[in-house]
Amino acid sequence: MTEGGSEPRSDRLVAVPCEGDDVLALFALADGEPLGEVPVGSHPVHATTAAGRTFVTTMGERAVTAVDPDGAVSRIETGVLGPSHFASANGELFVSCTAGDALAVVDPESLTLVTRIGVGAEPHEVAVSPDEGRLYAGSRRAGVVDVVDPVARDRPGAVDIGAGARVQGVAVGPDGDRGYAVDQAGDRVVAFDASEDCVGRDGADAPTDDPVIGAAAVGADPYDLVVTADRVFVPGRGDGVVHEFDSDLGLVAVHEGFDRPVDLFEIGGERWVLDAAAAGLRSLSGGVVETSAPGLVATRVGDRLVVSHYDDDLISLVDIADGTVWTAETGRYPFGSVVV
Amino acid sequence: MIPDDAPDDGNADDDPDEREPDPASTRRGLLRAAAGATVAGAASTAGCLGVTTPADVAARNEVTGNVAHFVGPSWLADNRDDVVVLDARNAERFREERIYGARRVPFDAITSRESTDTGLVPDVEAIAAAFGEVGVSPDDDVLVYGASVGSRVTRTAFALAALGHEGSIRVLNGGLSGWNGRLGTGSRDRVTPTEYAPDPAESAWVTREWLAERVGTFNGEGPGLVDVRAPEAYLGAPAADALNLDNDRHGHLPGAIGVHWVGNVAGRRMTEPGRLVQLYEGEAELDRAGTVVVYGDDNVDPTSTWLTLRAVGFEDVRVYDGGFGEWANVEGDRGRYPVETATSVVIEAEGSVGGDDGSGDFSCTG
Repeated sequence: MTEGGSEPRSDRLVAVPCEGDDVLALFALADGEPLGEVPVGSHPVHATTAAGRTFVTTMGERAVTAVDPDGAVSRIETGVLGPSHFASANGELFVSCTAGDALAVVDPESLTLVTRIGVGAEPHEVAVSPDEGRLYAGSRRAGVVDVVDPVARDRPGAVDIGAGARVQGVAVGPDGDRGYAVDQAGDRVVAFDASEDCVGRDGADAPTDDPVIGAAAVGADPYDLVVTADRVFVPGRGDGVVHEFDSDLGLVAVHEGFDRPVDLFEIGGERWVLDAAAAGLRSLSGGVVETSAPGLVATRVGDRLVVSHYDDDLISLVDIADGTVWTAETGRYPFGSVVV
Repeated sequence: MIPDDAPDDGNADDDPDEREPDPASTRRGLLRAAAGATVAGAASTAGCLGVTTPADVAARNEVTGNVAHFVGPSWLADNRDDVVVLDARNAERFREERIYGARRVPFDAITSRESTDTGLVPDVEAIAAAFGEVGVSPDDDVLVYGASVGSRVTRTAFALAALGHEGSIRVLNGGLSGWNGRLGTGSRDRVTPTEYAPDPAESAWVTREWLAERVGTFNGEGPGLVDVRAPEAYLGAPAADALNLDNDRHGHLPGAIGVHWVGNVAGRRMTEPGRLVQLYEGEAELDRAGTVVVYGDDNVDPTSTWLTLRAVGFEDVRVYDGGFGEWANVEGDRGRYPVETATSVVIEAEGSVGGDDGSGDFSCTG
């Protein structure tokens, strides 16, 4: 779920990692004017901000990159290849190292590696509970969601999502009592108890399926999911559908007719689907906002979206009401942006 | 200190500490030598007749050029009375046929490890006792052979080095099949045991903690690190036969490059030295002047790469004796001992391990 942001301010800028050119490209949010590029290391994919700095995961490195307000660029070694996703809790950044089996814990103030937390192999997305008391990291190899205590910096246990599961997307409901995991290999979504003692009750840290509440089939090749107060949405990229469930994974609807749906945003009372194979956003009720090109990733800014057109080397600011505000050329393969 | 049995340069009185070799010159010298070196003799006295004689076989296994540790049958023939010959094969093969006067290595004992606060290390007391049982003394010049030059042979060489063996350590290229001298058979000959007093060469191995402190630096700012297992094991390929199912985790140590150890061996001989230099220095981009650590699933196979790298001139090669088996199954804080499963470097290594023993011997040879 992409969170809503505040209304755009004229001096804000968009920083977008360009995976193919190893740079962080900067644009004025107001009008898309290019403001420069920052070399950040091999295969940058996601950016975030913390402690007044901008951080970029670089999947081709054993490090993440930090950009200081004065423009200084530094590396924080993770020790493990493939830093991909950020999660923030307890004043620290938790970085999934997707080519290994660890979360790197980075202090954004001192720019140091605090420690690494061992998790299932090839961790990907990391969800944070609303009170930041727990992190949930999905493993693409081990078929588990590791539960991490960010204060103790340890892993009390893991939820077993099922043999052969490849966990991509992970999310926690707004109440924090229920978690969800997308099993890409099994084309399903799994709901689990995300209460504080959902794992490790008996002191054992071995994965257990005890917290699993239920599972449901979804469209082919699912990747991510979106959880709202009373709904769970799972785009099926392979067959162009979006499954809509209630919080207990009871099927509400299957929305069809998309090409390759990848994400969903609630804006203006509508649910808008980002499509990686169609040049436009389409709402579940049939509304359409045309865009310059298909979008793979988007970042919400108020009622607008900064859309990364990965295959077309473009980035756009899209207003749901007014359409595309601006489009700018980027380096190759723009990915997960951050608005600063 | 591991004895260096590289060919003498004729300046026996030189003080090694006062020599300042130019690394580039050393490297050029090795490459030149490697280019002209061969372990497979071209001459065949009976080739025109399509007949291979024992002399032909022996000739194929001769070693020339600037190659340490490996020697051919003629060297052994010339020095037979001056070296202790150790047979690294199993008891059955040993009884069937062996180099006359050879003593059989108690193989299980020389793979012994002990647990320390920093991880598993060679159990030098147990290893020393094992060599003492077969009458080896620290200052003996030793030659090891097997069915080929596989990892049983190289483990034996490593075990001696780990004890700080003072005498030279050599390996017979081509194994027993290359030897056309006198043979023995039947039960082993009686030998007088010795009290082997080890002087452990701790620089020959590294521990789990030594590696953990350097995670993130391998093959970059830190030491070289080579995973000698099959590529499928290195990558942790799901359901691959090469995976050790006793391991909790699969993959490799962060930053390690994968070079399967069988690339060191061509049939029963060591791979042509020029190819080995290309493999490890050219393709794997290892620094011969720096520290290189090798590891496998256990502590046997990596010794093939340990000896091979030393043979072609790498100066500081060490074995992680605990191996991936220890790393993958470590208890507790696994974030300190991460593994990687993707996106690293696998160097293609062609090789085959010859030998006549598929019965009860170690998987590859010896």
